Amino acid sequence: MKPAPFDYVRPTSVAEACRVLDEAGGGATVIAGGQTLMPLLNLRMSQPFILVDINGIAELKGVSRADGATRVGPATRQADALKDETLAQYLPALVRALAHVGHYQTRNRGTVGGSVALGEPAAEMPATAVALGATIEIASVRGSRSVKAEEFYLGPYMTVLEPDELVTDIVYPDWPDGHVVLFREVAQRPGDFALVGMVGALALEGGTVSRAGIAWFGMGPTPVRARQAESALVGQALTAIDADAVAALAVADTAPFDDHHASAEYRRTVGKRIFARTLREALDIRSAA
Amino acid sequence: MNFHASSVGATRYVGERTPRKEDARLLTGRGQFTDDIQLPGMMHIAYVRSPVARGRIVSINLDVAREMPGVQAIYTQDDLAAIPVQMLSFFFTPIESPVTLLADGRVACVGDPVCMVIAESRAQAEDAAALVELEIEEETPLVTIADAKTGALVHPDRDDNIAAEMGDADMLEEAIQPLLDKAPHVVTHTIRHQRIAQSPMECRACVASPEGSGEMTVWMGCQSPHLAARYVAHALGMPQESIRVIAKDVGGGFGLKNIPWREEVAVVVAARLFGRPLKWIEDRYEALTASSHAREQEVTLTLGLDDEGKLLAGWSDYACNNGAWPMGEDSNIAVHMFMWPAYKMPAYGFVTRGWFTNTMGLGGYRGPWAMESLIRETTLDKAARKMGLDPVEVRRKNLIYLPDQPVTSTLGIEVTDITPGECLEKLVANVDIAAFRKEQAEARKEGRYLGMGIATYIEPTGSAGQMQPMTGETVHLRIEPTGKVVAMLSTHSQGHGTATTMAQVIADRLGVAYEDISVFEGDSAIGAFGPGAAGSRQGVIAGGATWKATELLADKVKAVAAHLSNASTEAVTIEDGMVHVEGAPEMSRSLKELAEIAYGEPARLPEGMASGLEAQFRYQPPPMTMTSAAHCCVVEVDAETGFVKILRWISAEDCGTVINPGVVEGQIAGGLAQAIGQVLLEEMPYDARGNPLAATFKDYLMPTISDVPDFEYLHANTPSQTIGGMRGVGEGGAIIGPPTLVNAIADALSPFGELGGEKGEVTLPLTPARILDVIEQRDVSGHQAHAEPAPAAPVETTAAPVADTSALAAAPAAISIDGDWDMTLKAPMGGQTFLAHFETDGTALAGYLSAPEGQQDFAGGTFEDGRMKFEVKVDKPMKVTLKYDLQASADTITGKCKMGMFGTAKVTAVRPA
Repeated sequence: MKPAPFDYVRPTSVAEACRVLDEAGGGATVIAGGQTLMPLLNLRMSQPFILVDINGIAELKGVSRADGATRVGPATRQADALKDETLAQYLPALVRALAHVGHYQTRNRGTVGGSVALGEPAAEMPATAVALGATIEIASVRGSRSVKAEEFYLGPYMTVLEPDELVTDIVYPDWPDGHVVLFREVAQRPGDFALVGMVGALALEGGTVSRAGIAWFGMGPTPVRARQAESALVGQALTAIDADAVAALAVADTAPFDDHHASAEYRRTVGKRIFARTLREALDIRSAA
Repeated sequence: MNFHASSVGATRYVGERTPRKEDARLLTGRGQFTDDIQLPGMMHIAYVRSPVARGRIVSINLDVAREMPGVQAIYTQDDLAAIPVQMLSFFFTPIESPVTLLADGRVACVGDPVCMVIAESRAQAEDAAALVELEIEEETPLVTIADAKTGALVHPDRDDNIAAEMGDADMLEEAIQPLLDKAPHVVTHTIRHQRIAQSPMECRACVASPEGSGEMTVWMGCQSPHLAARYVAHALGMPQESIRVIAKDVGGGFGLKNIPWREEVAVVVAARLFGRPLKWIEDRYEALTASSHAREQEVTLTLGLDDEGKLLAGWSDYACNNGAWPMGEDSNIAVHMFMWPAYKMPAYGFVTRGWFTNTMGLGGYRGPWAMESLIRETTLDKAARKMGLDPVEVRRKNLIYLPDQPVTSTLGIEVTDITPGECLEKLVANVDIAAFRKEQAEARKEGRYLGMGIATYIEPTGSAGQMQPMTGETVHLRIEPTGKVVAMLSTHSQGHGTATTMAQVIADRLGVAYEDISVFEGDSAIGAFGPGAAGSRQGVIAGGATWKATELLADKVKAVAAHLSNASTEAVTIEDGMVHVEGAPEMSRSLKELAEIAYGEPARLPEGMASGLEAQFRYQPPPMTMTSAAHCCVVEVDAETGFVKILRWISAEDCGTVINPGVVEGQIAGGLAQAIGQVLLEEMPYDARGNPLAATFKDYLMPTISDVPDFEYLHANTPSQTIGGMRGVGEGGAIIGPPTLVNAIADALSPFGELGGEKGEVTLPLTPARILDVIEQRDVSGHQAHAEPAPAAPVETTAAPVADTSALAAAPAAISIDGDWDMTLKAPMGGQTFLAHFETDGTALAGYLSAPEGQQDFAGGTFEDGRMKFEVKVDKPMKVTLKYDLQASADTITGKCKMGMFGTAKVTAVRPA
């Protein structure tokens, strides 16, 4: 378990990083926290010619506010994001999900952007970006572009990111004050990738759902947006919501698979239950308030 | 913790939670592990392993790899064969299947080592290894036990895929089935135990440094440097003194490191060929996929019981997937010997077979015979549920308590001082079962499913003198001229804390400060032979040896002090490093003062006494020392997700004298953590092409600190018959943990049905999906769709094949077999050679078998057309009738010997040279 030989560069600006990525002609890999990449390198499942370390690029770190949205620099450590007051205020769902990413120790190195860009379908960060309607901002020597999180993921560990591109920001739109956070996952051990999990937010106006964003993780080759469930919820009075029926709609959008940890049937069965349980708990609290 | 070392009276250190001597070193990163060894000129090894499970090696192209930077050599089996090697099992019997260090023309499992790359760094070695071109003609592999029963031969030179077998298939029809037919209640239960990766914290490691004189120093992660040195010397045919093995710190062994295996021996052989120090550090990928695995057993137990729940008879059919190259063909087959000695079981029989397949070979793993307790205790609970009886009462009716002993089990195991019943009573007294049942009933009304599991077990520990290499332990002890104490032990620690516990015994028995004792172990050049950490033995045997050696040393100190003070030895006491003479306080001396006299002024010693203050003792304890325990665990199963939460776990164990409760509890907790992993999380699955599917810790789920509860401990302390009264405790948690947890889960799920469906076929691990199968009475896990049908139990098995008689017609008409023969019996647990003497009278055959241990006469045999049939009754080590069925030719006799439950041995005989 020693990586194949590679060159290493540590650019200090996005422009410089993009130049290196361009010159590498597809042979470069970006490293941020390395919590997934280092094992892949050691197993020789990833054999880049050049490792582009973005930890020296200050502009890729930190949380900022702009235009009714919260921007998270991709190289922001998960542990730092967990402590961030802006995120706590504007993106409670993201903070809730972050607490389940890896372990205490790995979050000290692991980055928000690393997890978003990797595209592990059972991970929390990609699904959270999809659920909250985030936009991924991408740069290369060819220019920059924005991609909706929902359109970013193509398959397991596959995204629209081209080999010469770098994620420069993850932009999460604001949700109204007092929006409801939905989050639950079932993992065999704390810190494992989920067998099945769901994350989302509900905005409320006068006892009615005005906006819904919900996504599954571990329920298909990519994060899966629970579109039918969202539609069913929007415009509904809290008291009129049938959590089981919505959960059934939510599961209908998924395409889980069998692996040796759980069957697709288990994922569907339990997914429906945790969806209903989570929705019911959230609505109960609202109704009681 | 209300602990008292009741057996040893007033103690000073024995029984105390003394801080471990090892901890400061280990917790501050100052341990000395094999990978810490750096030698001048040392090269690094990476293995090229087979990516396919079965096939013929067509070609190995090394041209590109050899040109890589830093590469010094690449060896294949053709190169290593320059030094002949005979691999051995843990019992020091030759491995029968022709296991070579690297693949020899064929590969038999994924991970089979094919080439060894030697380079200046491990990274360079891996770079080159990736460029070795292997062409393998792939063949359909045998992956499961079912494959092994019907598929092609895994090892073409063998008769079948049976690696080893024990048991007497005839007994089912002859003795057991009639009893089961008459039994008012019959319960059958099957457990399929998944394959486990051993996963020690430190993977395997070996550094071999050849010296000019033909000697070799080897650093190796092992469970006994003495045993490792002896093994390598045997395997390579080198003189014992030419090999020195050092293993100061080892991060866990569990059985994987009992003996050096192919990769470690290959490092030693390669170092001799290459002439420079070589290092191989196994990485985690190799450790998970290519280190000897464990478990993968299927067992069905059928019990007959009367209306009160008393056992009437039992039959068990057991199979084990031994893989291609098990670390002993007998891996895990001897599971039945200790199935019932703790219970009143009137009649029991079994068949057990280990099967070769194209998967990684098995090795021993903490509690290698644990399956017997798992199937027994879970079947008893199933019977209790079926009959509406209290599982505690079922055990009370059948367990053997102290007043019942001594008693001999149906399989010939005599127990004299086991206490599973007493442990159970102690446990039950500390767990309010009635209150739990009430809580359980209330919880069920709310849709919460609580369960309580109880299990008991016994375990033979401290095995010595029954078979190689299990023997005594030696302690060399001295008081230095400084007054400090130095001990050199045959023990070895892979985290067991033997330096601590043995120092406690010395401090206690001698009367010196624990801090003034230095313990040396972990080097075959010091101490004496011992098999190290194997079979829960060090506390028992090394503890006894240390106990006695310390008393011998104290006797000498007292003799010297008495002589100097003109007092009687009875008047001398040693306390806190001071030697006192009763009634003469002015004669008190420190041990340092006394040692200075003993070493420096021998003229002042009693006449004839050797100078210095030294003692040595090798302790040969009784052949086995039994440990008992009863455990209770409480779980809650989430009926929506199938997740199991362990709420409480109480252990009541009897390991006799407890030297250090912290160390004892650490052993129990570690074993229980492994048990929790096995029941809930760990699994090394293979796909149909023989690929291991859990190649990293992302997919191989070890229990973490979050998955393991705080355990509660109750200690019963019935002293054993050994010096010091200790009983072994190393493996117990891993043995009793699985049935305790499975029983708790089955109890929680009882409102829904039996775990594993009505047929009671339980497959481990009990993943959330498999638990939902029970709760929802449907195939949520997708397991049923894939599972092979289990054999109905009891299973009628084919009798062991007798000698091939097809050559009869061609046999010469008149062969004389009269006179002496050198006869060899090849049995699973070792071979034996003895003199056989035959006398024929027409077709009547008589004679005797003679070995140094004694002679057995026999008569009443038959000899017809060259076929010899006779029976020999043996009393030791257990009562068994040996049934010989042989075919004679002019100068050889071949055939088989059925040894009752010990299986069938191959027999060959030739005329004495």
